[in-house]
Amino acid sequence: MPDKRYALVIDSRKCLDCKACVVACRAENHVPLGYSRNWINEEHRGTWPKLLAAFEPEQCHHCTNPSCVRVCPTGASFQRDDGIVLINEADCIGCRYCVVACPYNARFFREDKGVVEKCTFCVQRVDRGEMPACVETCPSKARVFGDITDPDGKLQQLLATREYRLKKPETGNGPQIYYLI
Amino acid sequence: MDRRRFLKTTSGTAGAGAIASSLSCSLRKRGTVSRGGRREVPTTCELCPNKCSVVAVVEDGVIRKLNPNPENPKSRGMLCARGNAGFLQAYDPNRLKRPLIRAGARGEGKWREVSWDEAFDYTAQKLTAIKEKYGPQGVLWSSTEAFAEIFFKNLGLAFGSPNIVRHPTLCLSSVNLAYSTTFGTVPSFDLLNANYVIMAGANRFEALITPDTMDLIDSTMNRKTRLICLDPRFTVTASKADQWFPIKPGTDMAFILAMLHVVIAEGRHDKEFVVNYCTGFEQLTEHVKPYTPEWAEKETEIPARDIGRIAREFSDAAPRAVFYAGRRSSWYQNDFQMRRAQAILNAIVGNWDRQGGMVPNAKIALGEYMFLPWDDPKAPRVDEMDKNFPLAAQGDGAYLKLRENVLAGSPYPVKGWMIAKQDPLNALPEQAKTLRMIEQMDFIAAIDIQMSDSAWYADVLFPESTYLERWDPIEVMSGIWPVVVLRQPVIKPLHDTKPCLEIVQGLAKRLGLQQYFDFTIEQWNEAAAKELPIEMPLEYLKKHGVFTPPGGPKYGATLNPEHRFVTKSGKIELYSERLQENGHDPLPVYHSRPEPPYGKFRLVIGRKAFYTHANSTSNPWLFDFAPENRLWINPASARSAGVADGDQVEVASSVGAVQLRAKVTQEIRPDCVFMLHGFGKRSPWLKRAYNRGGSDAALLETAWDKVSGNAAMHETFVKVRKV
Repeated sequence: MPDKRYALVIDSRKCLDCKACVVACRAENHVPLGYSRNWINEEHRGTWPKLLAAFEPEQCHHCTNPSCVRVCPTGASFQRDDGIVLINEADCIGCRYCVVACPYNARFFREDKGVVEKCTFCVQRVDRGEMPACVETCPSKARVFGDITDPDGKLQQLLATREYRLKKPETGNGPQIYYLI
Repeated sequence: MDRRRFLKTTSGTAGAGAIASSLSCSLRKRGTVSRGGRREVPTTCELCPNKCSVVAVVEDGVIRKLNPNPENPKSRGMLCARGNAGFLQAYDPNRLKRPLIRAGARGEGKWREVSWDEAFDYTAQKLTAIKEKYGPQGVLWSSTEAFAEIFFKNLGLAFGSPNIVRHPTLCLSSVNLAYSTTFGTVPSFDLLNANYVIMAGANRFEALITPDTMDLIDSTMNRKTRLICLDPRFTVTASKADQWFPIKPGTDMAFILAMLHVVIAEGRHDKEFVVNYCTGFEQLTEHVKPYTPEWAEKETEIPARDIGRIAREFSDAAPRAVFYAGRRSSWYQNDFQMRRAQAILNAIVGNWDRQGGMVPNAKIALGEYMFLPWDDPKAPRVDEMDKNFPLAAQGDGAYLKLRENVLAGSPYPVKGWMIAKQDPLNALPEQAKTLRMIEQMDFIAAIDIQMSDSAWYADVLFPESTYLERWDPIEVMSGIWPVVVLRQPVIKPLHDTKPCLEIVQGLAKRLGLQQYFDFTIEQWNEAAAKELPIEMPLEYLKKHGVFTPPGGPKYGATLNPEHRFVTKSGKIELYSERLQENGHDPLPVYHSRPEPPYGKFRLVIGRKAFYTHANSTSNPWLFDFAPENRLWINPASARSAGVADGDQVEVASSVGAVQLRAKVTQEIRPDCVFMLHGFGKRSPWLKRAYNRGGSDAALLETAWDKVSGNAAMHETFVKVRKV
């Protein structure tokens, strides 16, 4: 049993579609314009004046059984013991099998670098004991990041008291973003 | 202020626990930290007026990232998209890098790079010539809210000009005047602890205000606070509300008066509070009798039973219930009276100075640097504030009336214009008129970080260092959670730029006014910080970026029947004799606004969370989210106008026309159209927003609130046709 397993709980009802997370990620991870490691899904429904709008932040789900890692021919895509799925750029040959294999469309090919990229949960910050940039910067604190195995942690507290859903659990990937309902 | 008094006004613990826990999400250690070539410097954001605390991560002299500073309880440990993208200001290749003097015709875009000495000499010579011919009142000094605004404003006053015009009459002066007329002060709204919130027009989930935005999402989502939203547009705020009513624009006051009618008729007001603290309740009772919910339904298009129910829910939830004041420009010419109706409603349910209600702002006293005083300007103001808006803040001016008088040359000519951190061409309605005002000026100089539209038409440009490259005066933000913030340089200036104080000093020296500005920013800040109740206060601020008194908010300091409110009667004035003496309605009287004639729409304006006013649409990371503005139009209206989604349309009012693409959407009333501010720029140096979409300032007609002089931004009707 590993010490830690990082995961994300998102309360989408709190999302204001303000884009702070997208810009914070861009700055922290030097993601050039044209690419994005996180994004906000939008839904607008209804006929005036009976309307509904919903916003849902998304990024790599850091799955427990990640299909992107399975299909990688070089081992460039790998998973740390704490659950964070990463890409070793030196070993990435740009075949993009993983881009296709990801059920969440969370990976993209960097034309300029010839490698695939995605959310890393800001591993450089997490390893310093900080929060991922998107989590820290969020005005409404819609994202909660932490160790899901910690019985006293915020994640277990939230998941014990609130209903939640996973996206595309049927793929067997074991996604680790828990969307509160 | 002595320490005891300080503690008295700021101590208390209610609600502190909630905030402490929301701030604990960051694990970063406080203060400036150096690690190898990496430094972390706390400072203060300048992308909008919220002044959030940030920590800049600098590696080898280059800013890598701006992080939120969780020590600031007002910004609540967050940083929005603008704050995150802020450092691109410093690295913008198109920013103003050195002083420029116009070399071609005005607006032609031909510039000569000059030394600071030449720019100062040239400007001083022009200002002196105007002073000799027209008097010192012949120069107008206009600026927008900034830490260093005081230096610029003081230069104008020391020069001898009464014509200082600040931003409030393009912003919230009607709100301020209405609440201060009623309560003698402008309170904050305790959204963190309120159980029932009514927002009319205020779009707090897209127009971010700290801490209100975060508090409201926290209370509505975590505590089930009820949020009622009135807005002609289905905003993000509307989408998160428990109930949204697409109220007919211009009728908010009818809704409020009907709420007052129900609350009073059913005896739901806080009787003890009204007796002890308010005057004029008898007149109010008589006054609101005709304003029944059934009457208001015809005006607002909100069912009478809903108005009655909301009035009952609101008064049941009081004192943890607020009708939120909002803070943005006025909408209609009766805006002051509409805000007065809000203030009166809040007053009679007794939410004053109570947790979850309206709270008079706590303040933190700063020391003052003692500079030499100058003689007060002798001439009256060109906007004749004392005659036109005697109740309003005289020193801030009334921008639109001022423009009218300058154009008319009455009561005297104004021929010079000094502009700081402001873009009047986009900030004021009726751009064509502002252009005419520019044309009639003998001389214009602007202090800015970028080539704004207005800078484009100036004769001299003084490039200011960006907020990441300069010291600014220490600033206090009063509120339920008062804070003191410091802005300090994160990097050295990248170009030949200066902070506002040094620009002011350069001019002062050549105008013979240097004795009034004979200090350094360090001296100014030391004097300001020395009153703070901490050891080595300036060092503390340099290390932390922010100071907040311990203990959290305190409620109820004014809830003492002996307390004297700063009003004529010393009480909360439901009925205002002062208004009556000045020829205004002492209680808010409803007058319906004209409806759009057949084939026309009311133009409404508003915000997105990632843009501030007109000044950040050229930031590449922000521009990426909305690379143009589109005209929101309801499908039914689009059909009748022959417009399909994505069509290029011409939008025309009585004062101008612009072209942009249509966004056909269910999310707006059929009688309104909406467009985002900050596009259709005229300055080619704003590479992205230049010529993209349309400028709302070109369409809006000149109109102002009668009492405060605040620009009324929703009085314009437009025609829409496919081109």
